[in-house]
Amino acid sequence: MSIFANKNTRVLVQGITGTQASFHVRRSIDYGTNVVAGISPRFNGREHLGVPVFHTITEAKQATDIDATVMFVPATSLKNAVREAIEAEIPLAVSIADGVPLHDMLEIKAMLNGSKTTLIGPDTPGLITPEEARLGIFPENIHKKGCVGIISRASTLTYEAVIETNQARLGQSTVIGIGDDMIVGTDYREIIRLFHEDDETKVIVLVGKSDSLYEQMAAEYYRGLQRKKPIIAFVAGETLPLGHNMGYAGDIITRGRITVQDKKRLMRDSGMIVVDNMDQIHSALQELEL
Amino acid sequence: MNIHEYQAKKILAENGIFIPAGGIAYTPNEAKRVALGLTARGPWMLKAQIQSGARASGHFIEHEAGHKGGIRQITQISNIAYESAQMLNNTLVTEQTGPKGRLVSKIYVEAFKKVKNVFYAGMVIDSTLPAVTLLISEIINQDIIKIATTDESKILRINLKYGEEFSEAQIFKILDFLTLDKSYLPNFRGFLTNLYHTFMKLDAQMIEINPVGIQRDKTLIALDAKINFDDNALFRHPEVLRLQDDYEENIRMQRAQKFGFPYNEFDGNIGCIVNGDGLALEAMDLIKAKGGNTACFLNVKGGVDKDKIAEGIKIIMTNPRVEGILINVLGGFLRCNLIADGILAATQEVGLNMPIVLRLEGTNKDEAKNILAQSNLPVIFADNINAAIDTLLKQMEIND
Repeated sequence: MSIFANKNTRVLVQGITGTQASFHVRRSIDYGTNVVAGISPRFNGREHLGVPVFHTITEAKQATDIDATVMFVPATSLKNAVREAIEAEIPLAVSIADGVPLHDMLEIKAMLNGSKTTLIGPDTPGLITPEEARLGIFPENIHKKGCVGIISRASTLTYEAVIETNQARLGQSTVIGIGDDMIVGTDYREIIRLFHEDDETKVIVLVGKSDSLYEQMAAEYYRGLQRKKPIIAFVAGETLPLGHNMGYAGDIITRGRITVQDKKRLMRDSGMIVVDNMDQIHSALQELEL
Repeated sequence: MNIHEYQAKKILAENGIFIPAGGIAYTPNEAKRVALGLTARGPWMLKAQIQSGARASGHFIEHEAGHKGGIRQITQISNIAYESAQMLNNTLVTEQTGPKGRLVSKIYVEAFKKVKNVFYAGMVIDSTLPAVTLLISEIINQDIIKIATTDESKILRINLKYGEEFSEAQIFKILDFLTLDKSYLPNFRGFLTNLYHTFMKLDAQMIEINPVGIQRDKTLIALDAKINFDDNALFRHPEVLRLQDDYEENIRMQRAQKFGFPYNEFDGNIGCIVNGDGLALEAMDLIKAKGGNTACFLNVKGGVDKDKIAEGIKIIMTNPRVEGILINVLGGFLRCNLIADGILAATQEVGLNMPIVLRLEGTNKDEAKNILAQSNLPVIFADNINAAIDTLLKQMEIND
């Protein structure tokens, strides 16, 4: 088992013919991902990377069932791509777009509310179920099948967490980047819930950042769970000066309310095992004696 | 992107919010002319136009600027030119500028507005809800972040979901918080609606009016204004982009922005190049834990262009604080040889007089090592982030 995607998941790619998309989709197909269709206005009716390409998702759906879509569309087109996925009732959408306007995300979140679509991202390497499916741009060669579910809000730092689980000789069930941006489609809580329902996942590793309240929300959610799988958590950015906003002005309301020290304390109080350095993750995993 | 007070006020006025009459001046005589054009009798306000809060409580570095701050109330027209001359072309230091301060090259001259009462109004995006959040406080002329950290009860928050407008109940709540009766409702509704529509229309990240004045006739007037725009949405607002004051932005910030790299500066002496914010934050924490301090970090993200990476490295190398460079890159698909090529190109142009330690993982890592080994540049490789920082700190000690 795994969450969100496995080797049977039928994957659509929006914007399949772009240079970056072609490069990564080729690798995903080689990895075993079940890519069933692509969308590109100009390639309509032709094949690309051995995959049929359609004009719209509706047309693609008439030809094949679709479980998930990976969006290789620019940040400025994300709103339209998500709208199309929602209208076609695609259960899962993954966006790797970088630099999506905040107001677009406000609108996207409103669209997602009450829809049948779950959005992962934007600004994420995507998600990967080792040896089964790669939805996004994760470096597939470092991943090994195993029992650790990884959730991260720090794109490239996720790879460090993967390497740590390998060092502990445990491997990963599914690895998910929820996105680096201030507003993300899906936050930690839903992923924690799904990892708890997944038999294969025995332990969760959570990689957080200083610049939001998402980690606090995860702690509150985890505290309320009856039967908990262990979570090993790390939060980067303890030494970022208060008031320094990493380019996002609205931060004042979150930074004003909670420091990383507070955040880590809340996470510990909720039952998470909080490590101070990334390289303590593998020993924390080993100590669990899974 | 930030703009000046006078520009922000103009935008608010264009969107239906009252502002005091005012005009911009670059010389003392111009200030006097503007002042007389606004009103024959004072008082007037002289406001240094630098992009910083807390200008009133700031001070000038130069002796000839006198001991007053960057916001001055003047009652005699004869003093306008004199006080303007004190401020113009001198350096204002505030809580937010750092000790170096900012050069004042223009002054906003306003007709002084007598008001009955004042309050703080701010609008931001609360990312986790997500919602547009209005912040109201009776405490004015202070950094809202300070108020938020010391006494949350001093701030009222009103959240608006996407597409929602202010409800009557919400406005009553605000009036209640400010101990105002319901006769203020129409003016508050008009003011808040205009503020909110401006915020949404221009892809703002933050609008602060600190303070809003309540006039005798119960109308509201913006006595100060600060607007911050979402850089990712500026492509939709060429009219806003034109307001950018290159003089205000530090040259390295400008260059980083031009090449699309997030870049942050601090007060230490280690420059970091990473691909991902999380890696930067992790490195910064570890550097501090090991007794060092970060000067800046540059995030090259998924950079695939060698020339752009060279430009990024040059930005770090030309920061005068930087005495050692840490490169921590976990590819993904950022090919490591591009980093090596970038270092070569940058050092050929600006030279290299400080240690560089690299931790590279991922595609073409060995090729990168070969390129740098053949270049005879004094770069050192490390296997993990801890070893990289230890090595760099040791090298910097030797260089001392």
